[in-house]
Amino acid sequence: MVFEQLSGNLIQGLVLGAIYGMATMGLSLIFGVLKVVNVGHGAFIMVGAFVTLWLFNALGINPILAVPVAFVVGMGLGFIFYYTTMQRLIKAPELATLLATFSIGILLEELVKLIFGSEFRGYNWAVGKINLGVTVLPYSKLYACIGSVIIALLLYLWFNKTRAGSAVRSVVEDSEGARVCGVNVGGAYALSFSLGIGLTVTSGVLLTMFIPVGINPYMGGGYTLKAFVIAVLGGLSSPYGAFFGGLVFGLIENGSYTLFALIPGVEPFALTRFLSFVILLVILLIKPTGLLSTK
Amino acid sequence: MKKEITKYYPLIPVFAAYLVLFLIGKNISGMWQLVAMLLFYCAMGQAFNIFLGMTGYVDFGYVAFMGVGTYGMALAITNLAHIEGLGVGVIIIGFVMALLMSTLLSMAVGAVALRLRGAYFAIATIGVNEGFRFLIEGARIWNGSEGLIFTAQLNQILGRESASALMTFWADIMVLIIAALAAFVTLYYMRSKIGYALTALREDEDAAKVMGINVTKYKIIAFITSACFAGLVGATSWALKTPYVFPPEVFEIHYTIEAIIIVLLGGAGTLLGPVAGGLIYGISKYYLAIFMPGFQLLIFAPIIIIIIVLFPEGVVGMLKNRLKDSGLSRFII
Repeated sequence: MVFEQLSGNLIQGLVLGAIYGMATMGLSLIFGVLKVVNVGHGAFIMVGAFVTLWLFNALGINPILAVPVAFVVGMGLGFIFYYTTMQRLIKAPELATLLATFSIGILLEELVKLIFGSEFRGYNWAVGKINLGVTVLPYSKLYACIGSVIIALLLYLWFNKTRAGSAVRSVVEDSEGARVCGVNVGGAYALSFSLGIGLTVTSGVLLTMFIPVGINPYMGGGYTLKAFVIAVLGGLSSPYGAFFGGLVFGLIENGSYTLFALIPGVEPFALTRFLSFVILLVILLIKPTGLLSTK
Repeated sequence: MKKEITKYYPLIPVFAAYLVLFLIGKNISGMWQLVAMLLFYCAMGQAFNIFLGMTGYVDFGYVAFMGVGTYGMALAITNLAHIEGLGVGVIIIGFVMALLMSTLLSMAVGAVALRLRGAYFAIATIGVNEGFRFLIEGARIWNGSEGLIFTAQLNQILGRESASALMTFWADIMVLIIAALAAFVTLYYMRSKIGYALTALREDEDAAKVMGINVTKYKIIAFITSACFAGLVGATSWALKTPYVFPPEVFEIHYTIEAIIIVLLGGAGTLLGPVAGGLIYGISKYYLAIFMPGFQLLIFAPIIIIIIVLFPEGVVGMLKNRLKDSGLSRFII
């Protein structure tokens, strides 16, 4: 009975983990290239969720089609915030970049609140479900998982097979050296930041496909914290590390929740969150380069 | 001897600001609420500045120390209220508890997080704050997510009238004293070996290490001092002013952000900065809430971004640069 429940939850955890991983790739990309922690990360996920919600409820557009729309919106926001703010803070101390990205997050939250109000919303996209025996998986969740994997693969191809991707990688390795070799370092920064934001907003679409309720302007805070844990699992500066970190995190989250629920007299949800932060601290102490790295 | 006194001149504008605040609150009716809020922001900024301003490390989980300070006072009052004859002693024990708990937590966090730098340090400290909160809620420590409410116990200890005087007036006076004390300690550190070591470490940690400065020692001193003042602010501004404590409220990350904004606005690492920052932030927040309710954050966020980009050295930092060679320069640091 417990075993069945556990395996069912682990399958759900793996599916959610892939989405978590995709939702953290933007954070890791931005940190890897610009050395900036985007503390407003969750707010961009929230923007993606509202894009999906608005397209679905107002125009009846399929959430899958919201993916490219969200990506374009995210890229646009990324370029705007890069050229107005981040560009001037590349060499600034952490204090400035952390506070700036947090303020950008607040700005987005308040703008969305102004337009849509602060109540909890959701949408109902009924596309059927499959029964796996131990658990029931709606197709919407499956699509979100597949979408995450495809996006992660596309990012990998972009990084390794295109000229712009190589330029960004050269900036990560050595920005001065890249500049000497004629790489447009400023352009690479702008592109990476916008791409990171684009990926994050897109992940908001996929996350609402998994959890289509509870959409409100302040939903991002929890995702920001989860993204930190996942990014640290993957080594903070590697987008692929983040993707696998997401898978691990999804499994740990759902697995430990099932087990904590067996202990009487505790709140399993809070203990699951507690465990994730213990993992965060342990990894930062023992292996800050991430679980996957060989260094 | 004369040199000894001039050393403390920079405290004059700080204490003058607090005196003016006190007089305004005391003499103009209806102003005390605003003054109390400003004192809270100034005290929080000043406590935070000791670590953030002097070392340049961004502690994103700073509010955790205010949280455990609040719990220290709350636990003392809830557990000792039934003992006859302790009276005000309970409050004093509460302060000792607050100091003890914030010292212990800061030592634990310091041992782990202070090995890390930059962004890694910031993420680790967020982790500690959130982890601690979810441990309290998850394992139902100190009544878990239901929190502690101790208005009745406070009334029992002090009597209804004194308790309400404490909540509405004397707690704010204590915050004022804590803020003044924090200013004094900040200046003492600045003018001693600790300050020079921390300045060296803020500018270039590796170089400071090579020069033979025990950077870890000084970082931990600043960290624990800052945490202790945070604990005291929590114990007064939160536990004594509003006699209840709920984990989501006292570990709310927005207070950390407010502290960072105040320090940055006034000028990180300056003595007068947190006071200037606290006053500007508190007054604008108070009046925005009155004249444009619901829109404060929408207006604040872009202003903060503009300040970070255009005036990163803060109000006092700019003032300091402008007054460099004038006679006033010895008052403003």
